[in-house]
Amino acid sequence: MGLREPAWRTTTRELAAAQSEERGRGERAATYLWSPYGGRFNRVAIAGILGPAEAVGRTEAPSFWKARLTDPFGTIGVTAGGFQPRAMVQLRAAAPDRPALVVGKVHLFRAPDGTGIVSLRAEAVRSVAEAVERSALAEALRQTLDRLDLLERLEHEPAATEASLREAGYPRAWITAAREARRRFPDADRAGFRAGLRAGIARVAGRLGPATDGAPWPPGVTRTVDAAPPVGEPGGPADRAEEAALLALVDEGAEGSPDGYADVREVLRRLLDRGIGAERAEALLGRLEEGGALQEPIVGKLRRA
Amino acid sequence: MEEERPEGELPELRLRELVSLPPRVHVVGRVVRARRKEVVRRSDGGRRTLLAGLLSDGTASVRFTWWDPPREEIEAGTVLRAVGAEVREFRGAPELVFSWKTRIGPAGPAELPQIDGEEIPRRTVRELVDGEEGFRLEVRVVRVASKPVSVGEERRIVHEGLLADRTGLVAFTAWSDFHLSAGEALRIAGAYVRSFRGRRQLVLDERAVLRRIAPEGLPEAAEWLRRAPRPIADLEEDGGGEAAAVEGLVVALLPPSGLVYRCPECRRSVLNGLCRVHGTVAGVPDLRARLVLDDGTGALTVNADRAATERLWGIDLPTVRERLRETPDPSRLEEELAAAVIGRRLAVRGAAVRDDFGLTLTPETIEATEVDLETAAEELAARLDGGR
Repeated sequence: MGLREPAWRTTTRELAAAQSEERGRGERAATYLWSPYGGRFNRVAIAGILGPAEAVGRTEAPSFWKARLTDPFGTIGVTAGGFQPRAMVQLRAAAPDRPALVVGKVHLFRAPDGTGIVSLRAEAVRSVAEAVERSALAEALRQTLDRLDLLERLEHEPAATEASLREAGYPRAWITAAREARRRFPDADRAGFRAGLRAGIARVAGRLGPATDGAPWPPGVTRTVDAAPPVGEPGGPADRAEEAALLALVDEGAEGSPDGYADVREVLRRLLDRGIGAERAEALLGRLEEGGALQEPIVGKLRRA
Repeated sequence: MEEERPEGELPELRLRELVSLPPRVHVVGRVVRARRKEVVRRSDGGRRTLLAGLLSDGTASVRFTWWDPPREEIEAGTVLRAVGAEVREFRGAPELVFSWKTRIGPAGPAELPQIDGEEIPRRTVRELVDGEEGFRLEVRVVRVASKPVSVGEERRIVHEGLLADRTGLVAFTAWSDFHLSAGEALRIAGAYVRSFRGRRQLVLDERAVLRRIAPEGLPEAAEWLRRAPRPIADLEEDGGGEAAAVEGLVVALLPPSGLVYRCPECRRSVLNGLCRVHGTVAGVPDLRARLVLDDGTGALTVNADRAATERLWGIDLPTVRERLRETPDPSRLEEELAAAVIGRRLAVRGAAVRDDFGLTLTPETIEATEVDLETAAEELAARLDGGR
């Protein structure tokens, strides 16, 4: 044993869905997240646009940093601390919103209400040329499609032997992950997920992104003011009211929680009750975080700055 | 002491005679491996030495137990002639016992039986396992090169290279000059398989019989060297392989990487000015990079040498040493190297072996690769449209 865990090539969308956890037993046992699309993630490699790093905590010499990585499907939090000094230095490196590759371990945060948020603890971060980021995305899409093909094959031939699948070129770990995905996620919409990969192809082809005019980048991304639907004039009275409502909810959530943080899902749900939709809320959150009023030191956890 | 037995008929024995009547044989064989042991007699606590090992004559390998062996080391490779050895059966396989009743002594390799290729089973490259012998093999010489080595005091020429059939590649070492050249097709008998540092090797010594054959059914010599990269997971499953081609991203740099110092005698790494074998030495500076290459299915360690490291890093050893003089912190250099290599996409070819820590590949070639984005996008779109 002792084989290094491979870095599964994947996307933010699959990671967000990979919420079924398998905890290893024993000392230094690996933890895995099963995805509905045939992944068993411990280490992953992902490409996207890396946002600016923020220190977590308010100590003089912060030793834990986080940033957001955006690909054509969404965003994921990327953290690095003193135990990953190489990754931490890279994460903090200047030039925000740069194309980057991130290799890291998956981490599932489970909120009290059961919702899960997947983030990455970076082991390696590298700023790359846009072509390299797009190549890595192409590879992730290709391997994701390979895994979906395997799932499809198992759907048609549930009794397919491991030997025959190995013969067809599927690694053993993928076969295990595909069988487990069918067991753990019987109702997953794999066809929908597959169709959704098209957004990634546009990015691979260069039809989407900062280098080309036209389509906004990051596309469909939440928490950036540009990409979200209009939220009214920033600074206008309606806007300020919504911000105030959000901050109040954060305060309430933080007060009622044992760890002193408000849960982002909880806040979003309560905003929805007040008629503020998810996209709008995300835009507000993004602006408040950028403006320094709010912090998200742990992915999925909010507090006043 | 030789017992006479009537031909074709087994004599009736009293049970007590069973002890004194094991069949005795006369054999010549080569020691494949041998280990000295000491056993304590239960009856009186007396100690007795024995040598346990494996003896082979090219047709089969048989375990042996040599009671009270000579004091001098019996090394693997020694050829022995044993007259009057006992044969016993253990778990269905014959075993030889050399005792005071056996006349045993060294013999020359020429005394080993000549093996004809037809009477022994045929194997494919993929089927070969460590310690195997007594098989024949039909292969193509992929490449061969000679190099001088010192065996004790002696200088000898060893011929090394790769052999291939349709099932795979195997390294070989020939201690005699068979005048091999790349592209030749051969039938080999009387060779044996030995693993060295996890790498399977076919050993051809004096008693190996080689015959040139028609190359029908054998791959072209260069075919295996041109193969497209294969998933690292497959290579892991095979336990490594010769001239293995893989492609992936560099996801980590393992220590020791960067500027290292090597023993001037043996080229081992020098730690704190000490060589593990030669003690205090003046280390010779060198560059290396231990890259973790990952293709999404698996990961392996690529040990890049000075030339490859210089190419990946973009600076040469004198420049690295110059930088060290300016900033005397070797770990800074390692970080610089890490920054230069992590995230790079490389195609690597070389011999891969597996140990407890996974696969390690010694590269023959390392090339940076690029993905043709337009083609990639078209292929992906076609797969999405076509369903598969």
